[in-house]
Amino acid sequence: MSGRTRSPQPAVPRWLSALFGAPDKKFLSQADCEALVAQAERFAQGAGETPCKVTSWWSGEVRWARNRVSLASDRRNDELRIGRRIQGAEGGVRTNQIDAVSLEGAVRAAERLAYYGRTNPDEHREPPPRFEYLTPAIWSDQTFAQPAGERARAAQAIIAPAEQAGMVSFGYLAVQAAGHAVIDPAVGRPLYAPYTAAQCSMTVRDPEGTGSGWAGTSSYDWTRIDPAALARRALEKCLASRHPVTIEPGRYTVILEPQAVHGLVRRVVDAFYGRYDAERGPNPFHLRPLYSKLGLQVADTRVTIVQDPLDPDLGVLPFTDDGQPVRPATWIDHGMVTHLAYWRDYALEWLHDNDPIVDRWGYRMAGGSATVEDMIRSTQRGLLVTRFSNLDTLDPESLLMTGVTRDGLWLIEHGTISKAVKNLRFTESPLFVLNSIDLLGPPERVFSPDAPAIVPPVKAHDFSFTSTIDAI
Amino acid sequence: MAQTRRAFLVTSTAAAAAAAAPPWLWRSGVLERGGRREAPRITQSDLRALAARAVDVARSAGAAYADVRLTHTYGRSITPEGTHQAGLISDSEEMTVGVRALVNGYWGFAASPAWTADEMARLGHEAVDLAKVNAAGKPRVVDLAPAPGNETGHWETPLRIDPFSVPVDEVLDFLGAFRVYGGENYGGDLGIQIGCQFTRQEKAFASTAGAFVTQALTAIGVGFQIAWLKAPPGEDPKAVSDLLPLAGHGWEYVRDNEAGLRAEIPRLIAELEADWRLPSKPVDVGRYDMVLDAAGMAELVDATLGTATELDRALGYEANAGGTSYLDDPLAMLATLQVASPVVTLTGSRSTPGGLATVQWDDEGVRPDDFALVKDGVFTDYQTTREAAGWLREAYAKRGVAQRSHGCANAQSALFAPLIFPPNLQLEPGKQELALEDLLAGLDRGVYVRGLGLGLDFQQRSGWSREGLFYEVKGGKRVARLQHAGLLFRTAELWKALTALGGPASLRWTPAQRAKGEPAQWAAYSVGAVPARFKQQTVIDTWRKA
Repeated sequence: MSGRTRSPQPAVPRWLSALFGAPDKKFLSQADCEALVAQAERFAQGAGETPCKVTSWWSGEVRWARNRVSLASDRRNDELRIGRRIQGAEGGVRTNQIDAVSLEGAVRAAERLAYYGRTNPDEHREPPPRFEYLTPAIWSDQTFAQPAGERARAAQAIIAPAEQAGMVSFGYLAVQAAGHAVIDPAVGRPLYAPYTAAQCSMTVRDPEGTGSGWAGTSSYDWTRIDPAALARRALEKCLASRHPVTIEPGRYTVILEPQAVHGLVRRVVDAFYGRYDAERGPNPFHLRPLYSKLGLQVADTRVTIVQDPLDPDLGVLPFTDDGQPVRPATWIDHGMVTHLAYWRDYALEWLHDNDPIVDRWGYRMAGGSATVEDMIRSTQRGLLVTRFSNLDTLDPESLLMTGVTRDGLWLIEHGTISKAVKNLRFTESPLFVLNSIDLLGPPERVFSPDAPAIVPPVKAHDFSFTSTIDAI
Repeated sequence: MAQTRRAFLVTSTAAAAAAAAPPWLWRSGVLERGGRREAPRITQSDLRALAARAVDVARSAGAAYADVRLTHTYGRSITPEGTHQAGLISDSEEMTVGVRALVNGYWGFAASPAWTADEMARLGHEAVDLAKVNAAGKPRVVDLAPAPGNETGHWETPLRIDPFSVPVDEVLDFLGAFRVYGGENYGGDLGIQIGCQFTRQEKAFASTAGAFVTQALTAIGVGFQIAWLKAPPGEDPKAVSDLLPLAGHGWEYVRDNEAGLRAEIPRLIAELEADWRLPSKPVDVGRYDMVLDAAGMAELVDATLGTATELDRALGYEANAGGTSYLDDPLAMLATLQVASPVVTLTGSRSTPGGLATVQWDDEGVRPDDFALVKDGVFTDYQTTREAAGWLREAYAKRGVAQRSHGCANAQSALFAPLIFPPNLQLEPGKQELALEDLLAGLDRGVYVRGLGLGLDFQQRSGWSREGLFYEVKGGKRVARLQHAGLLFRTAELWKALTALGGPASLRWTPAQRAKGEPAQWAAYSVGAVPARFKQQTVIDTWRKA
């Protein structure tokens, strides 16, 4: 064997060819992440720590428009944050290159940036308690292994009924698999969680543009999504929403489908994020300087909102980006604020405790037994809302919001749906809605790809619609 | 250029800092271009072979057309803490590659962070496979508008000093010295927050048509806010400067504007104090003549016509995401529909100096042209890509217009397939040299709005203000601030109610960015606008419920 055969591929510099391992690998494993960080630590010069975060992901997607798939994609990326913590000063850089040369470069850069941070040689750091981390259900083998053909078939099966009915379908479905690692000496031990995600949503419109229907859901597990049922629902909504009539804005009894409730309540859940913020305001849970509304009644006694990573429909990553554990918390218990999230820094400084309560934004809102049909039957005059869109918060203190209804709004008269009506803009606070509840239905999983949400339909009175909207 | 005291200070401070550096400090920048390893310059000749590998594989695998993009994106933000060489600095770097393949009218797209020959081949195959899997269904036609196709070359944002080559110490010194200046001249009454942001995206594009083009797009901006602590109780003491918004320039854009930045301090203080002198009163809901400042007009252009003329949106491609458009019938509307007052002309351009969307080639290798979206109030064209221009074949043929892409293909990075994103948008100034004050002077009884932020419905048919400072104007003078006042409008009526535009000297450029698509991605562009006067607009109390 004399001499090597010449590679048929174009010659590339070393830094180009040294980058990756197996080319069909979808994302980095725990061992990969730990090896990566160990390598970064070896590149570190001098004292200090090398805290790292890795999010490595793969995503398979299909998007369609006008009854045809417009793009099918397969994408992956490795997002690294490499830090250097030296005498209390920290520097960090983000990169997506994991070869040795790039890693060394990133470590050097982090060291250089740490130099500009404020050092504190006397810094005393509380040792982290032996945090217990939960193991939520956030992984699905079928989702991870889903072939592209299955997505193509799902899209075709969703499009077909709309096309047969002479309607036009637009939508998107995606599955994702990822590994998230936090490897930071300050946390005590390396953390890694693999997870999957799936989402499917669609809009069906009539070709004349006089009607529009939407349906969608998301879960960590593709097999929990029923694309055919969603397709039926979006088509039904489109057909039933055509040729809407104008009604006057004003105060209406509303029946909010779970997706519409989520649009409003999501803003309330965002505000659970910070006890610190609530004590300082402006915040809906701010009472007066240095006091939050903890312990006070802020909503109807039927309102309970919790996070529980072990809820089989509500799995979230069991730790935050800085390694704090995510555990069950009841934010609102029968209308009373019982917890507001705080981080370990807050716990140490204000509560002389070592233990945080963090908010991962996944939530379950308790419901009741009334179905949407029950709600309609019990309504003399009101509106059935599919979902809200284009939401803005006008006042962070009262959470007053504005936005518009979208993809299906119907007038209810004498216990039945009487006609499709044109969309309306509202000006209302979700907290007002949570204090004006007539009926609650059984909670269900809604479309919320960023954080899972289980939300009931709600019938509420005196919801404020402030102008008519011509958009369909 | 003679060495200024500043320049001397910069060099000496940097040298002092370097000399004092502890041994673990690596002095040459890494994520900083100068010192980076075997820096993968986008112009490096190997990259052409690498890119060719992806499109060759896609072609052999059966693609009728394929292209590859490689992007290398750098970001840096620097915010000084205190007045010395300390600060919050964030650095980021991302390299991505994306291959797009067309098979029987279906697009496949595959993307990853690895710039290797093997990965190019894998992505080429993957993109074709994905297209084929979907092409097994019903037929779909893609009619790509003609493009020269085989362009080659390199283009860079014109700049004198690459911001990434400027030592962090120099930037910190510049910003820190500015804070010292503020403290020395305004004492403890002034709080200054200032930070600098740099971005660069280097990108390469190659296609089966033989194109290979590379670009390096750089942008820089300064975020600058003062807090004037002499505020009376209940007044907001903060004011934000828009002197150096994010734009396509080098470090000289900041460095050469030191005097301008200093002059912003008294100007912002004067602006705040003028506000406090005005009484604040509840808004009297009703119809008023209205003047918007240039930034408010940029917001209006962007949120209404700038969004509605994206052709993919107009034809429903964003229906399941951000929404559609009220300009949804090209055949009936193009060149006939009056969408604004006859004084309104809106153009799209990707050659505007300093524009955030300014490029030589778009993400399909097309040289963008300058084109009118609205001419004398009439809707004349859409923002297009090669595929989208094909959707206008009939509408263009009817008017005898050549079918071509306007070069609006853009993507956040090669990790995303290109979509239609706005070019730089410019509202043409009025012919008369009117300043904002002149427009206000003509307002006998009305409102003036600055800091306008808009919310629009999902077809841009109607909108409302999310934020903005509203003033009552009487006899051409601001006489009061209006509490919780807002604007409520129907887009078509608002644009037709425009009666006067500011002149060329009142043109201001504002950075903008649009998020769209599934998966969501974003792209930046600049919007140039002049202040304008409108007749009889609806002013509401935004906090009032029904």
